[in-house]
Amino acid sequence: MPRREDARFLRGEATYLDDIELPGLLEVAFVRSPFAHARVGAIDTAAASAVPGVAAVLTGADLEGRARPLPTGSVEDGVVADAGHPVLARGKVRYAGEPVAIVVARSRALAEDAAELVEVEYDPLEPVLDPRTAGGAPLLHDHVPGNVLVSWARTSGDVEGAFSRADRVVAQSFHIPRLVAAPIEARGAIARHEVREDVLTVWCSAQDPHRPLAQLGAALDRDPDRLRVVVPDVGGAFGSKGAVGVEVAAVAAAAVELGLPLRWTEDRAENFLSAYQGRGLDADVELALAVDGRILGLRAVLYADLGGYLYPTTAVAPHTTAMLLTGAYAIPAAAVQVIGAATTKVPTGPYRGAGRPEAAFLVERMVDLAARDLGLEPVELRRRNFVPPEAFPYETPMGWTYDSGDFERCLDTALELVGLDRWRAERERARAEGRLVGIGIGMYIERAGGLWESAEARLEPDGRLLVRTGSSPHGQGHETTFAQIAAEELGIDPAAVEVRWGDSLAGPAGVGTFASRSVAMGGSALVVALRELKERAAGAGVGVLELAASEGGLEVSARFGSGLVFASGAYVAVVEVRRATGRLEVLHLAAVDDSGRIVNPLLAEGQVLGATVQGLGQCLVEEAVHDEEGQLTTANFADYSLLTAAELPPIESRFVETLSPLNPLGAKGIGEGGAIATPAAVANAVADALAPIGVRHVDPPFTEPKLWRLLREAGA
Amino acid sequence: MKPAPFAYDAPGTLAEALALLAAEGEDVKPLAGGQSLVPLLNFRLARPDRLVDLNRVEELAYLRRDGDVLRIGALARTRALERSPDVAAGWPLLADAARLVGHPQIRARGTVCGSVAHADPAAELPAALAALDARFHVRSARGARTLSSRELFVSYFTTALEPDELLVEIEVPSLPPRTGAAFVEHARTHGDFALGGAAAVVSLDGSGLCEQARLALVAAGAVPLRAADAERLLAGSRPDARAVEAAADAAVRGLHLGGEDAWRRALLRETARQALERAAARSAA
Repeated sequence: MPRREDARFLRGEATYLDDIELPGLLEVAFVRSPFAHARVGAIDTAAASAVPGVAAVLTGADLEGRARPLPTGSVEDGVVADAGHPVLARGKVRYAGEPVAIVVARSRALAEDAAELVEVEYDPLEPVLDPRTAGGAPLLHDHVPGNVLVSWARTSGDVEGAFSRADRVVAQSFHIPRLVAAPIEARGAIARHEVREDVLTVWCSAQDPHRPLAQLGAALDRDPDRLRVVVPDVGGAFGSKGAVGVEVAAVAAAAVELGLPLRWTEDRAENFLSAYQGRGLDADVELALAVDGRILGLRAVLYADLGGYLYPTTAVAPHTTAMLLTGAYAIPAAAVQVIGAATTKVPTGPYRGAGRPEAAFLVERMVDLAARDLGLEPVELRRRNFVPPEAFPYETPMGWTYDSGDFERCLDTALELVGLDRWRAERERARAEGRLVGIGIGMYIERAGGLWESAEARLEPDGRLLVRTGSSPHGQGHETTFAQIAAEELGIDPAAVEVRWGDSLAGPAGVGTFASRSVAMGGSALVVALRELKERAAGAGVGVLELAASEGGLEVSARFGSGLVFASGAYVAVVEVRRATGRLEVLHLAAVDDSGRIVNPLLAEGQVLGATVQGLGQCLVEEAVHDEEGQLTTANFADYSLLTAAELPPIESRFVETLSPLNPLGAKGIGEGGAIATPAAVANAVADALAPIGVRHVDPPFTEPKLWRLLREAGA
Repeated sequence: MKPAPFAYDAPGTLAEALALLAAEGEDVKPLAGGQSLVPLLNFRLARPDRLVDLNRVEELAYLRRDGDVLRIGALARTRALERSPDVAAGWPLLADAARLVGHPQIRARGTVCGSVAHADPAAELPAALAALDARFHVRSARGARTLSSRELFVSYFTTALEPDELLVEIEVPSLPPRTGAAFVEHARTHGDFALGGAAAVVSLDGSGLCEQARLALVAAGAVPLRAADAERLLAGSRPDARAVEAAADAAVRGLHLGGEDAWRRALLRETARQALERAAARSAA
């Protein structure tokens, strides 16, 4: 079923944040730190405030007592420092681009003119750039020793024994660079304070209304019933709008302080500098193996490049990486340590995959390195170590329980889809000609779902169904999917279903749209609600539509919660490295995803393609680069490349469905698999392609200069 | 980001435009397609006092074949170059180069003369025009002059144009018989800025020997460079694979490239080789 929301998007009839008109709305620009690390002295706003058309200029000092730093979030069994992001800088700046003052004016252009006139005394300090060595570097926060913002460790099973007994130990260090999420619509918010009722309304380009509600409530010390968050149409997020940008809190605080309605429309330059970035991990990983290829144990230290502060969600990704590090394999013993380091860069946060791509990359590269060392086929080594289908629900050494899955079936399906035998033959032919062709596998586990969601439904006497869901789309097509789910449950036409979301006042409470959880959780809440209606009707001995007609309408609300569900899959990539320029060409990509029950195959395939392209971007061209002063040198689309449709290789998608026993739909989650598995598969394919010339490992992105240099050094 | 404040005029004639450009004590910039200038304004990297919008100056809006030369007026859009039947017939190199400029939206507004005046050595059109020995007609309130590409392109984003001068027309001479041309570019992604590229024009004599080879490089230094050594090597030779390889080697020798120097050199060499190979094949066809 094609998407019903597309009509308004394609006709320009959507309402994005920047389309919202309010009387008297003023525009906002930020003064931002030019330094990655500096003490902040006096801030002189006199000249800026005097510019005609400027309503006010506020600094951190002006918001003292009005706004607290954003909350930091927590990590189960981990220690998280008290280093939340201040709404405007106080005493110090810790990344280039950090907001220092907010300028309110009649127009954005005027606000920028005035921002240039704000004089800030900076006393520059040494930048801290490498998470591995941040421990010995100048402190970003005086009260955070060793620059450790997040610390977590878990050991399970006899790890020491495994390594001392092992026939072979494989060790490798990795560097996974940061990425820019780059949604097509940047961030933004409008804030208006109704003084009489003391209600602050914030329209926010966000992934859901619930988390902004909680985060702004905490930052502004405002009760939830004095705060309303409305999410309009959103032009993508990919995780970067899950936590409110600190600028949103600044705008909200300023709106209350000044009694003026304010809008912040983030532009692309700001989005590059100040939206939290994704990934950013260094790792040292070891596998202990028996000579027959069985993995006996895993040890890893993960150094996360977290940035200057903790956003509410900053700690999530590295923790997820650690929890998923045993991957699809029945590894009996594991010890993983996470050191989340403070660095003088913009903070990191969830970005499509959010820790799972890192886990897949690390474990899948280790498995291939082990295969190479042991002289085993990578496919065979995986078969010998997969968690078998009869072992589910399977509790990993790190403590999560995989609900269901069939990893070997995913791999077999992917190998058939890509045509392994044909490509192996082609690889031999190519190698005989001196061409560098490689084949690589990337298995993945995606933790999804979890927590809870709610749904409200009203069935009108005329058979129309109005659904209010706590789940909120930002490009996923929920309007369509949820209408489908409802229609199927009640046996009515999807066209009779209207789906509404996004207003914290008008809709049910919820958790949010992230971790590919909306169908599994929000969709299931809807199913539970509608099944209750059906039971009511059955109890009255009539059909549900009849009951609605005779009762003048039926209303129901339901909440659904469950433990985490685990999607999985297998991707296979075939690549060639061109000797003349070092160019990496992806020749074929086969994507097999097990997301449990697929509600809308068209939309699901769209998710796979979109996620896969972002995964490819991470392999081919994308990398957020900071120079030795901590300045982001990839701060626009000329320097930070995104793949276009013209770069896409042939991508084939197939679904395996092992239903989750944890929700009535049997659904798991489909939003992120491509971004998780593709880098692992491509990295393994690149290593395979370069194996004949003696290259053991390459970190992403696999750019031309990097590969060309490797070829030269190998004397190729 | 929004531009810093500026004054704005939209004259209807060239004379008016030139008078505005000649204003004393003011930093005045002409605006045609805006595809290079407006981003600079938005980043506040350029802060002219005044913009002179040329888009109403009808007398500058032409792209036409005039006898056996091509005349490209200041308001001719890149897209027109890409789609013109005259250009396709007489100067296909320009159409090939134009096709690689950014994305269709950029080509629809951006002008050929604007790209030349912007003088980005990584741009396609300056190199293609340099390879074709184009002549650049410049006007000001003080008079007129004509420049070769070597005279026009001085350095990165720097031409020999005085602040009161406007590039009003590019004149491209016709190509001799038995000529083939090719444009090859290497970019990270489709539509991205070129990391290296080459525009090659190969003309044969009656016996299949190269009478003249012209090779201009993209992103090989401060200006769109004519690779004189490579051109000399090919002149008088049969443009076979060996000669083309040698010429490609010569083209990149001694170039001062930025970061990733060795790789950029290899890339440029490969694009030069491919461009010469294709141009030679087309010249014989």
